[in-house]
Amino acid sequence: MSFNSTGLRTLASRRATAILLSAFTLYASSVAQVLAHDVTPGDAGYIQEIWGVHMTSFIYLGAKHMVTGYDHILFLLGVVFFLYRMKEVALYVSIFALGHSVTMLAGVWWGWGINAYIIDAIIGLSVVYKALDNLGAYRKWFGFQPNTKAATLIVGLFHGTGLASKIIEYDISQDGLLWNLLAFNLGVELGQILALFAILVVMGYWRRSARFMGQAVVANVIMVALGIWLTIIQINGFLAAA
Amino acid sequence: MKLIDKMRETMQLTAEKPDPALLPTPKQLRRSTIAAVIGAAFIGVGVYLPAEYGIDPTGMGNALGLTEMGKIKQQLAREAAEDQLIHGGDQSLNLMNDIFGLFVGAAHAQDAWTDTVTFTLAPDAFTEVKMVMAAGDIVEYSWVAEGGRINFDLHAHGNGQSVDYDRGRGATDGQGSIKAPFPGEHGWFWRNRDKTDVTITLQLRGNYAEIIEKR
Repeated sequence: MSFNSTGLRTLASRRATAILLSAFTLYASSVAQVLAHDVTPGDAGYIQEIWGVHMTSFIYLGAKHMVTGYDHILFLLGVVFFLYRMKEVALYVSIFALGHSVTMLAGVWWGWGINAYIIDAIIGLSVVYKALDNLGAYRKWFGFQPNTKAATLIVGLFHGTGLASKIIEYDISQDGLLWNLLAFNLGVELGQILALFAILVVMGYWRRSARFMGQAVVANVIMVALGIWLTIIQINGFLAAA
Repeated sequence: MKLIDKMRETMQLTAEKPDPALLPTPKQLRRSTIAAVIGAAFIGVGVYLPAEYGIDPTGMGNALGLTEMGKIKQQLAREAAEDQLIHGGDQSLNLMNDIFGLFVGAAHAQDAWTDTVTFTLAPDAFTEVKMVMAAGDIVEYSWVAEGGRINFDLHAHGNGQSVDYDRGRGATDGQGSIKAPFPGEHGWFWRNRDKTDVTITLQLRGNYAEIIEKR
């Protein structure tokens, strides 16, 4: 596929720039966490000061993690991109929630931490996978459509492993761990519903536009690019840390 | 637009054009948008401000138990900034948890303690107890907390270096020994995050010039 000047202008449209910029801002704010040695600030610092059951705090932290987790949001956007019947939206989002809840809870409980860069690189690839799926690439290339429900479940399992790895880094006290963990999970789902609501409102306006189907192609191509970009950032981080 | 048409042809989207009859009507969308904006403002003021900044204009943060988290985060952020100013250039030895044998173990437990330090911390109060030590000095310690549970950070600064020996939260006792890798003030930062007054009794022996208590 060659990008002529028309294509470049299309890709450089205002919306594309806005998506790229907001994704970058979210990324930048989430990595600015490394600081002094004695005092751990922020969410991790708070968690490391407390013990016992703190349900509402952990519900809040779970929701915050989801709403500010651009990679989860990007995948969620990919999943609901072409789903406009509420029944289907609910079904796919529940499958995704089931997947990430299983590995998140089990991962923290049994301490299956995977290197955060590796799991985040896989999550970046999951965005690429879903965007290509939306573009119909698998039917075109391999002549068949992989089961979208199964894919959503499997990707959910990976996203949950990513969540677990981050929670393990938080170093939650053993005292009250189970309830706090369940509260965090509840918060993740709550955050997902809030993010989904916003996504569906925006998609609702967009779908009513006559140019939606044409722009959908560009949007999913951009999503492939963002997914690749996220993956490269994570691989770079892994290599720099190693 | 040629490119998009070409991409469409090549890519055969997985979806057909949405059925307009099944899409939300402009009226529904307007309503959802208004609901989202009101919801965002509500969450922003009632949840986000208390949980991140400890600012609680509506009292909702207190009712949900989130204001305390915001206050702790703000306190930690201030302390991290102050710490950065004082010790920002320090090289961290990062010898957390007895790597390289900093925890030598209570080898002489039968000997008498030379110093006993006792203090009481009200909820949210904190203090420091530091020993002035030379490089290679060894200090043994044993402490108990009564009346509640305590958070501590056993660490040291000196000569542009820093080390974190041990830290804990909700603890009621501790014992062991530290070997100073560099000269300076080595000791504990204590903070009471419990709901009641906590009294710490700390016993010490070994090589140190003096004990400094910072209230």
